[in-house]
Amino acid sequence: MECKKVEDLLSAYIENDLPKEVRKEITQHLEHCRNCKLLKEEMEELIYRFPALEEDVPFFLKNRLLYIPESQEEEEEIKNQYLKWVAAVIGTIVLFLNIFYFTDIYPPANRALHAVVSQVEIMVVETGAFFEKVKESGDRFIYASTPKKADEKNKTGKDDTMENNGGKNG
Amino acid sequence: MDINEIIVRLKQKDSEAWNKMIERYSKKVFNFALNFAGNREDASDITQDIFLKVYNNIDKFKEDGNFDSWLSRLSKNYCIDFWRKNKRSKDKLELDENVRTPAVHDEQQSPEDSLIKENEIKYLRGKLLLLTPDLRTLIIMRDIQDYSYREIADNLEIPLGTAKSRINRARAKLAKIVLNESKLKGK
Repeated sequence: MECKKVEDLLSAYIENDLPKEVRKEITQHLEHCRNCKLLKEEMEELIYRFPALEEDVPFFLKNRLLYIPESQEEEEEIKNQYLKWVAAVIGTIVLFLNIFYFTDIYPPANRALHAVVSQVEIMVVETGAFFEKVKESGDRFIYASTPKKADEKNKTGKDDTMENNGGKNG
Repeated sequence: MDINEIIVRLKQKDSEAWNKMIERYSKKVFNFALNFAGNREDASDITQDIFLKVYNNIDKFKEDGNFDSWLSRLSKNYCIDFWRKNKRSKDKLELDENVRTPAVHDEQQSPEDSLIKENEIKYLRGKLLLLTPDLRTLIIMRDIQDYSYREIADNLEIPLGTAKSRINRARAKLAKIVLNESKLKGK
């Protein structure tokens, strides 16, 4: 048996997971091949030494793991609290803006808000006009390209009819 | 309480079920992470993140599924992602400077024995880091955590023959590395 083949079967050989004949062949090979013998011994040594790498879970980590459900609940609660605060702040701001806009409690704020609202209205109108223009130019482009095709069709249609007519006349 | 019952109760947010889950699986996940990453600090973070994922995704887990297999794949994939990220930033993973573990510090052992064992663990973990993540995964599962070939094949969803040949390849690779080192030392 070749060394490469023996190397491929060494684990199965060590773990006694080979048919008798194959096992015998490998044993014979190992008796005269020093390199394969050394490799087999080193593999056995590693298999023997590796279980020492297993450890217990450290106490602090176990506590951290047991605490996961609580920590997640706390996180969820903090997130909900935060969202509640954000909603409350936004609500308060909207309320005050409405008060200043619809009443004359503080005239400078009322004027400023009306100015802002009118600016927003102007912007909305301008944006609408811009989109209308874009749409119109798009339509123009479509109309500009389609009649050509229609003309071409008409022309060819005419030619066909002329030819047909010519044929009939002839 | 079997694992199916634990999962059903976990879905109902039962804290007792979570304790059972940690009791049963924390050692497996921690040891996988520890021997994959090579140091306890990273292993602790990885283990915590994996269990956080388990807790947050337990609702998606089907009750008739294989939890061991799901957890093994989750651990393996998380460790490989971790390894890739750290490979970029650190170039290579770091080993513990000091492997002071309860296992190493047995009261019956003399300080000399403890030191020898510490060095032995450090040496073996160093060798494991020389393997590719896939081969390292297989060695950890087979030679450290004592999974059967069938369990490894099922958990990692690979054919049994592939699992056996890859484990053999990983062992041969490590053995050759150690042999070459001893040859160099001999010279």
